[in-house]
Amino acid sequence: MDWNANHSAFVIASYAMSVLFLAGLIIYTFTRDARARKRLAQFEKTKT
Amino acid sequence: MQQFANPTRFLSLANGALPYIWAVTLILFAIGLYGALVTAPPDYQQGETVRIMFVHVPAAWLAMLVYTVMALASAVAIIFRHPLADVAAKTAAPIGAVFCFLALATGSLWGKPMWGAWWVWDARLTSMFVLFLLYVGYIAIWQAIEETGRAAMIARIVAIVGFINIPIIKFSVDWWNSLHQPASVFRMGGPTIAISMLWPLLVMGLAYTFLFLALHLISIRSEITTRKLRNLQIARSENR
Repeated sequence: MDWNANHSAFVIASYAMSVLFLAGLIIYTFTRDARARKRLAQFEKTKT
Repeated sequence: MQQFANPTRFLSLANGALPYIWAVTLILFAIGLYGALVTAPPDYQQGETVRIMFVHVPAAWLAMLVYTVMALASAVAIIFRHPLADVAAKTAAPIGAVFCFLALATGSLWGKPMWGAWWVWDARLTSMFVLFLLYVGYIAIWQAIEETGRAAMIARIVAIVGFINIPIIKFSVDWWNSLHQPASVFRMGGPTIAISMLWPLLVMGLAYTFLFLALHLISIRSEITTRKLRNLQIARSENR
């Protein structure tokens, strides 16, 4: 990859956007899963 | 297949498989990105801009694949009433929407230097935009309708009817005059793309597929946990 080539900013922007959104999706998925499991664990704790 | 419809058995299988799926995903991304940014040559016409293909095309493939998964799961939910089918369709939608958005956004970033325009109302781009709207609409149905059974029935119909858009996207470049290039990988007569560009593209496609698989399994697990909690809360309130 020649970083000084014509239009390389478009290539960088495409990869940066992909990384940003996929990382965001991964973080959202893990956070939602952790929150759901925590809420279930808390509920089961209060049940006993 | 029937045995995987049991949520407990499904969760146990998913939890066992997830570390391996993540490991394969990371390896595929490492190899794919190396191929895309280091070994693949610049295109003789497009120059370095062609490297956008390695993130744009897999995102577009996955946007269509995920919608196909949703339509199939919705059909299974209607025909076989699998308890996990609606959950699988519902949890796939946000992931597919992100892939679809990325396909549109990276396509726009590719279009500006190559076509001189960020966006054109061309058949391929428009049908892909319709797919994004279908994703948003599908997610909105689950968010807007409180009664789960009713939301599920409407969402199933939207997913199945909306599936008509998938072959339209695929063949739009053949049926109408388009600025978008025709199919160069999945086509009759084999790929027309050079092998030095084809292998990183296929590896990136696999990496995106495994990423979807990992995220989908985790999302299904979250949804099952959320529904279990809701059922327990209802059962407790009824016992009081």
